Amino acid sequence: MTKITFIEADGTKTETIAQPGMTVMQAAVHANIAAIAAECGGACACGTCHCYVAPDWVGKIPSAQEDEADMLGFVIDPQDNSRLSCQIEVTPDMDGLVIQVPDSQT
Amino acid sequence: MQALPKLDPQSEGFARDPHHTYTQLRNLPDPYYYEDVDSWMLTKAADVEAVALNKTMLRNVDHLLSAAERKDAQRKLNWHDMPHHERFVQTNLLESEGDTHARLRKLVFREFTAAMIARQRDTIQAFVDHLLDGLGDRDAFDFVEDFAAHVPGHIIGRVIGVPDEDCPRLRVWSEQVVRFFDVGRNDDDKQLAERATKEFYEYLLTLVAARRAAPQEDLMTRMVGHQDAGLMSEDELIATTMLILMAGHGSTIDVLGSGMHALLRFPDQHQRLRDDPKLINLAVQEMFRFESPLPYFHRFATEDTEVAGRMFKAGTRFGLLYGAANRDPARFENPDQFDVSRSPNRHIAFGGGTHFCLGNHLARLDMDVIFTTLNQRFASIELAHEPAYKPGLSVRGPIALNIAVKRH
Repeated sequence: MTKITFIEADGTKTETIAQPGMTVMQAAVHANIAAIAAECGGACACGTCHCYVAPDWVGKIPSAQEDEADMLGFVIDPQDNSRLSCQIEVTPDMDGLVIQVPDSQT
Repeated sequence: MQALPKLDPQSEGFARDPHHTYTQLRNLPDPYYYEDVDSWMLTKAADVEAVALNKTMLRNVDHLLSAAERKDAQRKLNWHDMPHHERFVQTNLLESEGDTHARLRKLVFREFTAAMIARQRDTIQAFVDHLLDGLGDRDAFDFVEDFAAHVPGHIIGRVIGVPDEDCPRLRVWSEQVVRFFDVGRNDDDKQLAERATKEFYEYLLTLVAARRAAPQEDLMTRMVGHQDAGLMSEDELIATTMLILMAGHGSTIDVLGSGMHALLRFPDQHQRLRDDPKLINLAVQEMFRFESPLPYFHRFATEDTEVAGRMFKAGTRFGLLYGAANRDPARFENPDQFDVSRSPNRHIAFGGGTHFCLGNHLARLDMDVIFTTLNQRFASIELAHEPAYKPGLSVRGPIALNIAVKRH
């Protein structure tokens, strides 16, 4: 059980419990975070599950692979801490992870 | 034993209300085997999504077959003697898998991101205004043929770099190529499709030559650059461009028609959108959910796989009924209610997985501009009479939609 907190663009905080093996995107969908559109369902094919990893978590989770890095070049308002949430697999050491959700994906 | 529902996609009844059949199929304990296309039909959102996302489920398994098996499969689908169809339609981005698909998709993905597509807003607005101005003071017209059908092809033509005057021919070719994909596949459609593909190919060759001689700021010029850099072959360039043009036509026209129809069937929802135009993004997504314009795709299992709680052998073909999944009450509250504020709206009208619809932002922007402009221009829009929808399993949209309007 891994606690993840999503902070939406309007400041709304949602805490959810993710199971190992889920992706951060799936945790967001379960928590009904509408701004994580995740339209392709998690295939790194649409860029609409874009999120920002809280700065103090950036170095603690595995970094983006090539396909994800390519796709991050196409998202709206990319930042250094941008990630595709479908490509972050939840592990127990991510307990307490904080994810900021962009205003819009499209 | 419970009698199985009858799936007859070419029937008038199915065209009138496929959702009645979809509901019957969804209520069966197991997927329904549809002999005509040798497929297990999936209708529950969770099952459809699981198969679309499963990386071992492929749309095209030609590369796994021997030459003889491939020829046999082509014969079954009746395109064994269609050289242009084989060369440009059966090998395009939609039909490719694995590394080839990833390479081709990456080359065109940047052209269709939300940010790139947003640049087309003024072009779309100008063309929509031009079409509506052209209607003069007519207070009754066919929303599909007199208006909506002109927009998507014109805009995708602009994106690619097709001169405006050639766009009508592209629409005819696209429709003739696409019609062959339905379950009918009769000989007339086949000959039309093959001839259209050949003419389409020859036309695109001239456009490629023109861009190579005089580069422009358009997708075709950048594709020529990709070819010259050795990133794609000429056949891949032609097939990809053809696919983008085809995909940019019919399905958007269909969902424009069914979306307009939905607004007219649910006047309270239309009024909500008029009262709060910022709902347009959600309203457009709901139009895709409510009547998914491409309601049927397929996948092949490449290994023994569990689907919908039972095991299926490698080689099994599955029908993904997106139109049914998008009305699944297990995923959508009041699924038969058209709700312009539905959010989240996790419909699967654009498919899922690596083949997720490339052009979704463009289709949605076309629709955003169109419905917003219609609501600004017309104080009222009413249905003149109930429309008939196209027959078939693979497409969904009204043939015509006669409306009466009052201007402000």
